[in-house]
Amino acid sequence: MARSNEVNLNECKMVVPLNTWVLISNFKLAYNLLRRPDGTFNRHLAEFLDRKVPANANPVDGVFSFDVLIDRGTSLLSRIYRPATAEEPQPNVAELEKPVTAEVVPVIIFFHGGSFAHSSANSAIYDTLCRRLVGLCKAVVLSVNYRRAPENRYPCAYDDGWTALKWVNSRPWLQSQKDSKVHIYLAGDSSGGNIVHHVALRAMESGTHVLGNILLNPMFGGQERTESEQRLDGKYFVTLRDRDWYWRAYLPEGEDRDHHACNPFGPNGRSLEGIKFPKSLVVVAGLDLIQDWQLAYVEGLKKADQEVKLLYMEQATIGFYLLPNNNHFHTVMDEISKFVGSDC
Amino acid sequence: MVLYDSSTLAGSISGSSSSSSKPPPFPLQREQQQDIDGHLAGAGYKVRSSELRKVAQRLERLETAMVNSPADLSQLASDTIHYNPSDLASWVDSLLSEFALNPTCPYEFVTDPVTNRTVVNDSWTTTATNMPLVHQDVSYEEQSLNNKLPIVTAMEEDSGIRLVHMLMTCAECVQCGDFTLATSFLEDMQGLLTQINTVCGIGKVAGHFIDALSRRIFQGIGGGSIDGGSAFENEILYHHFYEACPYLKFAHFTANQAILEAFVGHECVHVVDFNLMHGLQWPALIQALALRPGGPPLLRLTGIGPPSPDGRDSLREIGLRLAELARSVNVRFAFRGVAASRLEDVKPWMLQVNPKESVAVNSIMQLHRLLGSGPNRNSPIETVLSWIRSLNPKIMTVVEQEANHNQPGFLDRFTEALHYYSTMFDSLEACSVQPDKALAEIYIQREITNVVSCEGSARVERHEPLAKWRTRLSGAGFRPLHLGSNAYKQASMLLTLFSAEGYSVEENDGCLTLGWHNRPLIAASAWQAVPDAPAEFPAPDTHRPS
Repeated sequence: MARSNEVNLNECKMVVPLNTWVLISNFKLAYNLLRRPDGTFNRHLAEFLDRKVPANANPVDGVFSFDVLIDRGTSLLSRIYRPATAEEPQPNVAELEKPVTAEVVPVIIFFHGGSFAHSSANSAIYDTLCRRLVGLCKAVVLSVNYRRAPENRYPCAYDDGWTALKWVNSRPWLQSQKDSKVHIYLAGDSSGGNIVHHVALRAMESGTHVLGNILLNPMFGGQERTESEQRLDGKYFVTLRDRDWYWRAYLPEGEDRDHHACNPFGPNGRSLEGIKFPKSLVVVAGLDLIQDWQLAYVEGLKKADQEVKLLYMEQATIGFYLLPNNNHFHTVMDEISKFVGSDC
Repeated sequence: MVLYDSSTLAGSISGSSSSSSKPPPFPLQREQQQDIDGHLAGAGYKVRSSELRKVAQRLERLETAMVNSPADLSQLASDTIHYNPSDLASWVDSLLSEFALNPTCPYEFVTDPVTNRTVVNDSWTTTATNMPLVHQDVSYEEQSLNNKLPIVTAMEEDSGIRLVHMLMTCAECVQCGDFTLATSFLEDMQGLLTQINTVCGIGKVAGHFIDALSRRIFQGIGGGSIDGGSAFENEILYHHFYEACPYLKFAHFTANQAILEAFVGHECVHVVDFNLMHGLQWPALIQALALRPGGPPLLRLTGIGPPSPDGRDSLREIGLRLAELARSVNVRFAFRGVAASRLEDVKPWMLQVNPKESVAVNSIMQLHRLLGSGPNRNSPIETVLSWIRSLNPKIMTVVEQEANHNQPGFLDRFTEALHYYSTMFDSLEACSVQPDKALAEIYIQREITNVVSCEGSARVERHEPLAKWRTRLSGAGFRPLHLGSNAYKQASMLLTLFSAEGYSVEENDGCLTLGWHNRPLIAASAWQAVPDAPAEFPAPDTHRPS
């Protein structure tokens, strides 16, 4: 048992830079301390350990941020990131919600990852990622601090995502000059990617136009154990056991992993045929044990004639997009920028 | 029906809590800065590049230990006390020592944050329920906000934005000395106030800022009678601020936890309180000391406060009440009051510290008053910090407003204060009972007035953020004592008991902050004097054995 663990540790050390390895292993260790076998979660310790950063209305590398309360009833906060402009290098407190001035300004609604249980919009790693997206896509980014499991199960995260989408869509100051409409993209990693799909569904159902979905290592699953799950279990930071724990924490009690939240194209899923779903960019890491489910998602979209681009990063592990120290990172960032930039 | 809340606007302007140009997650000593891994720093962790390999190895060892151990070991590990997760190397080491020791009864051992040795765990650290609550009769109000939200029309939102614009412009005029133009803005703003809801949100806090600006323009910067509300009045307002929101409770609670920890094993202890007020902080400490294993120490409390003008000795009265409480729980107790109108008038000999005692210095929102208006030789803060060091305290607990209200430029200060106090007012709206709330607002309003309309020695509310206090205190020969996950957890639990949702406790490189909607508003830290270190020496890492 110990021996195969050594092999596991050695394998994942060889595919990521040392600092990435330290970062993700640290998360893995901390998360192990937080999940209890009885399904409860040590939220206090989780918040204590999470490295957070405050919003900063003073631009840093051309990006400033501020927090808004979108829904008082659920204390739904979001952090908004905007580019500082040449004319307004130092935005003043009254100018935070100043109307966007360009012809077309993409607004990216971002859902952070954390398997529905971890992290927040003000977690340092996600604050950094959102800031990058601003510069990369010349976009305004809104990072949603959705309610997390196990305290808040399905469909809370989706509800919060939908609330945020409606809020964004109704802000006059976010409308692009060209057509006085808000140009919305949904993006997210891990559980955030899952949320993207489900919020996009709701958007389509109510006629709200979303221009595109970006799913980074999205979190999907199912009852069946797939080949990738068995082959990669425990090899690259993630185990099937922890995946199961998070689904049990998020899905309604008594539901299994074929619930449509977890398995959108599974036995309880719904077909998207005939629905005008946003175009999707789906990034799959080749060393992610749930890749079979992610690839099945892409297939499900294709079968329903939806526009989807798959980026399969063979040697990438989970979290590769958190630090800009590897080629996968740069490839993906380029693709995201093209995906958002092709808005016309 | 969709309800918008005007405080959406207030919420959006609460964004900035830092005026520095770079947002470091933590302050660094210059020499170490070069070696810190930049990518991990961006993620909130400080690890030296030269130590990466070592940290990685230790993470591996931990992984192996956890995989090979009984399933409930994670549970036990999560019950230990964690300190300063930013310092990854130390955090990993502390977990390793947890596992290295007797894995079947880990409750017995914790890592002493100062010496990094593993010491026997006192029961008070794990039995959180032993901590008596200070005010058992505080009512817990069910949150029924949805019934109380005002509906803000689009016009009101616009007026709110215009008001903020005008406030900024008016402040700018004041900074440039154009009082005529500033006055006309004042008039316009008074007019706008009639169009918006002044009961909550931006309207309420704007009103206070308009008043403060008026004062500055018309009465000059001498401050008039702002700070000179009588000591008696101040105490009443303070008490209602204490009741209305959790900031002071958090301050007291966190400081007491740290003091208790510092006093473990000491039999003669002396607490010096820089601002006694009604002594609200101390009943809890007395009761906790009464319950500690091995019995309570002899407790001396020296309370500093303003002299009573009317011949009453209010300090002594409070001392008597505390003595009564101590007697009822069998804690040997002695009290001494030191009357001084300003902290810088206190001389260490007045405190009569006995060399055999273990001393705790407790400063709740007092140090900023010593910051004066310029770096002179022997500025009050340096004098006071120096004599604190000379007492060689076991611990100095410092709680300060987490704000940058001491910037030299008026407009910068004004802007920062607008952010800060709108957030604070927003938080008040969410959780209070009358008349506490109204009087608490007056308390806060006095702070606003002082920050905005006073200068020189009259301006005493010179709040500075944690990062600056860290530099200042380290430079004065103190090193941080980290507040750990148990203090964090208990503070969080207290919050849920007493307050509305929206408050959050955060860990910040060994210190704890309490804030509203992710904006920290108050920061608590603990310090120890570095033994005979010269003033400029960088603080040694407390997790290495000394």
